[in-house]
Amino acid sequence: MTTSALTAARAGLVSCGTCGLLAAPASPAAPGHCPRCGARLAVRRRGSVETTWALVIAAAICYIPANLLPVLGTTTLGSTEYDTIMGGVVFLFTSGSWPLALIVLIASVMVPLGKLLALAYLLITVQRGSIAGNRERTRLYHLVEFIGRWSMLDVFVDTFTVALVQLSPLMSVQPGAGVVFFAAVVVLTMIAAESFDPRLIWDAGTETEPDVA
Amino acid sequence: MLPDPIDRATLPRATLTPPRRRRISAIWLIPLIAAAVAIGIAVNRIMNQGPTITIIFNSAEGVEAGKTFIKYKDVKIGQVTAVELYQDYSKVIVTARIDKHAEGLMVEDANFWVVAPRVTLSGVSGLSTLLAGNYIGFEQGHANRAGRRFVGLEVPPAVTIDQPGRQFQLSADDMGSLGIGSPLYFRRLQVGQVIAYALADDGKSVSIRVFVNAPYDRFVATDTRFWNASGVDVSLGAGGLDLRTQSLVSLLIGGIAFESPSFAATSEPAAAGSAFPLYGDRTTALKQPDTIARSYVLYFSESLRGLSAGAPLTLLGLPAGEVTQVGVDLDPVKLAVRGRVEVVAYPERIVARLQTQQSAAGQAIVQSEQATHALFKRLVEERGLRAQLRSGNLLTGQLFVALDFFPDAAKPDVDWTQATPAIPTVPGTMPDLEAKVTAILAKIDALPFKAIGADLKKVIESLDKTLKDVNKAVNRIDTGLTPELVSTVADLRRALDSADRLIKSTDATLLGEDAPGQIQLRDALEEIAGAARAVRGLSDYLERQPASLIRGKTEKSP
Amino acid sequence: MTSMGNTETLACPDCDLLQVVPELPPGAKASCARCGRTLATRTTDPIERPLALSIAALLVLILANTAPLMGLSVVGQQASTTIVGGAWQMWVQGQELTAIVVAFCAVFAPAAYLLCTLAVLLAARRPPAPPWVGDLLRWAEAMQPWSMVEVMMLGILVALIKIAELATVEPDIGMYAVGVLMLLIPAIQSSFDPEAIWKRVTWADDGSLPVDDAVQADGTLNLRSAP
Repeated sequence: MTTSALTAARAGLVSCGTCGLLAAPASPAAPGHCPRCGARLAVRRRGSVETTWALVIAAAICYIPANLLPVLGTTTLGSTEYDTIMGGVVFLFTSGSWPLALIVLIASVMVPLGKLLALAYLLITVQRGSIAGNRERTRLYHLVEFIGRWSMLDVFVDTFTVALVQLSPLMSVQPGAGVVFFAAVVVLTMIAAESFDPRLIWDAGTETEPDVA
Repeated sequence: MLPDPIDRATLPRATLTPPRRRRISAIWLIPLIAAAVAIGIAVNRIMNQGPTITIIFNSAEGVEAGKTFIKYKDVKIGQVTAVELYQDYSKVIVTARIDKHAEGLMVEDANFWVVAPRVTLSGVSGLSTLLAGNYIGFEQGHANRAGRRFVGLEVPPAVTIDQPGRQFQLSADDMGSLGIGSPLYFRRLQVGQVIAYALADDGKSVSIRVFVNAPYDRFVATDTRFWNASGVDVSLGAGGLDLRTQSLVSLLIGGIAFESPSFAATSEPAAAGSAFPLYGDRTTALKQPDTIARSYVLYFSESLRGLSAGAPLTLLGLPAGEVTQVGVDLDPVKLAVRGRVEVVAYPERIVARLQTQQSAAGQAIVQSEQATHALFKRLVEERGLRAQLRSGNLLTGQLFVALDFFPDAAKPDVDWTQATPAIPTVPGTMPDLEAKVTAILAKIDALPFKAIGADLKKVIESLDKTLKDVNKAVNRIDTGLTPELVSTVADLRRALDSADRLIKSTDATLLGEDAPGQIQLRDALEEIAGAARAVRGLSDYLERQPASLIRGKTEKSP
Repeated sequence: MTSMGNTETLACPDCDLLQVVPELPPGAKASCARCGRTLATRTTDPIERPLALSIAALLVLILANTAPLMGLSVVGQQASTTIVGGAWQMWVQGQELTAIVVAFCAVFAPAAYLLCTLAVLLAARRPPAPPWVGDLLRWAEAMQPWSMVEVMMLGILVALIKIAELATVEPDIGMYAVGVLMLLIPAIQSSFDPEAIWKRVTWADDGSLPVDDAVQADGTLNLRSAP
């Protein structure tokens, strides 16, 4: 859109992140609290780019052991077999339930990767100040926000499988070391999405240099 | 065309009915339904909750809180909620919640035990728990008062209280290989088991409690005999080797069998709790008590080694009684030591073997002590009835006493007025054989083997020397030693002559008509022939009773 | 026509564009002029409906957490678990962090969300609502993305199907409760109108009620200054 659109930042106003009230900041450096709901005011989410980058990188680091380490170990009559996420997908596929295999593949492997890539893309474009495709990028951001929680699927599947199949000596299931990394990836990307401020997408190209502290 | 302009202000106002606000919108149904369902489920669970009980075990193997069930007749009646140590860590207290529908079972004397895989005397049980996990078994009690605190059993009860059948008490000298769970057999069918045992108060016997399942308990009559059918019933006596076993199980772990003896009259079933003696084996158990017994004493001047109390007394090979005492008789005046054997005869056993036509007459004689006495006396004096020691078992050397007829025997001198008259005895055949064999060996020993041997040696030596000389001569033949050769040949001839003479002398010793050695040999052969005859007599007997070599003379009751 | 009635001047949370939001008829929503994001939704029954649904959802949540999810039996062995039981097993098996995450996403966040929403709605029925309502509302909105009841439902179903291959599985009351909860929470979210609540909340700074009309007749903004 045009750079002449009036944003709250350019107008010197602050929009409350909680209740949406538009208020005049107490001072440019310290906007103060929202008169309506008492939440702390900030022109843009504090340290958005830095925090989001840190979280994305941390999540990416966790993503590797999440996929390499086994997430589930099945002990049948004494012998234990460990399975990674991909191993579980392959097992579901070969044992005939390919819809389940597809669900787990999408939710546990593709979605977290997609989130990481999308967030990285958003951060890079914001930092480069690109002005194209604002609406699409905002939609991408909302997609990341919305779909993030579904990656937690495998963690729940693991939890309930472990909780139920404790029938030694016949069969018992233990969680593997990869589960916690997987949960970490989901949590970190969710917080990363929360800390990214989508208004930064629209700020590019304007003279607004919000005090991104 | 427009109508006349109307002043809106003059128009009456329509009545405004404000929208009727429903007091409660339909949305409230949802939480109401949710509340109803939640309350319903909670109430249902509370209503179905049965009582909580505690059971104390020494150890709760495989019992887990929240997992282990309590089962009765394979139906779950409760679940364990907690397992904790108790009483300064010496016991385990298990808390369980019982289902409502099983509340009535929780009476004071109900029993609980842990069902785990168990190998007992009566078999392997609880194998299903290997996969399914242990559970707590339950046995109903009969008390009226409800109970909530129980002490668990460490081993499952042998029989459940509501199993139909009857208990009996047996008394035995020792437990043998019996134990709790040992099977009880009737006609080789397992019909019950041992459920408890205890030492008698005076320590002189063991009291064993057995349980016979219905409907077999009605076969236990007042005169039923119980015997220990453990393992292999081996008896090695003068009666021979007897091998019996009830089943493979009893072979391994012991068992008890029972039977009503055939000589018993039909009797009523025994009352529950009746006491019976436990006999050592079937033979002893089913032995018909002999009511009529006559004691006699026998004197033997041969070795009594191998004769023991209980050895059979036979008449014509048939069982007629047994030896009761084996001892020594010392006559201080004549300084004579001889063997003294007391026997008891059961005439009934002989009579039982009579054929039907004669058995009535036989019975009549047996019943009258006088008649028996008279008959016996006549047999001894007129027919030559004597007692003789015989070998019952060549393997063990055991002896028995046989009554047999010896027409050539000397006239006896029996004092029939004594309480235990002394029956005249005849020496046994066994020592005879021994003496003969010894004599043969002595004769063979006496032959002049040494002398023959020495002569032969000398001949061989000279031959050897001659051969050596011949060898030398042959070696020197080139140098013309013919005269020496001639002399050597003369030597040789002389040696041959002496050998010839020796052979002739041997001929004379052994092969001549009146050769002394030959006479000796002939005597020896005669002795051997006599011994052979005795052996033949024995072999004839063996031919008649071939099995007795191994089994000896059997003493089977009719 | 002048903008009489309730209007509000807002900055779009996505693109920060200043715009005036007209008064919405019930059921209508307003979208950003530039990026299209929904700015405000006016629901038909902003207090009663979400209140009823929240009460129902809380009862169902209690049921979902106390009743077993499903029971499985194989070779005579039996097992069943609740949601908390699942997190507990993870803890016992050494995965403490995962257990905390699962408990948070499956139990704590939905419970906090529902409780806060319930409290807010109860307090807002009769304005003025005390200022802590604003805090609770903020907490409710913070907990919302972390309440993953529907993800858990799918996870339970996948686990059920996987286990059903080797044992006999029977869904129990807990699972049905989670399913109902999975439907109730989005219903609450769609019938909940934060704007309606904020209008009834006393202002944090001086306890006065908000002024309905922030835009003065002459078109200038009449904004309060942040303290």
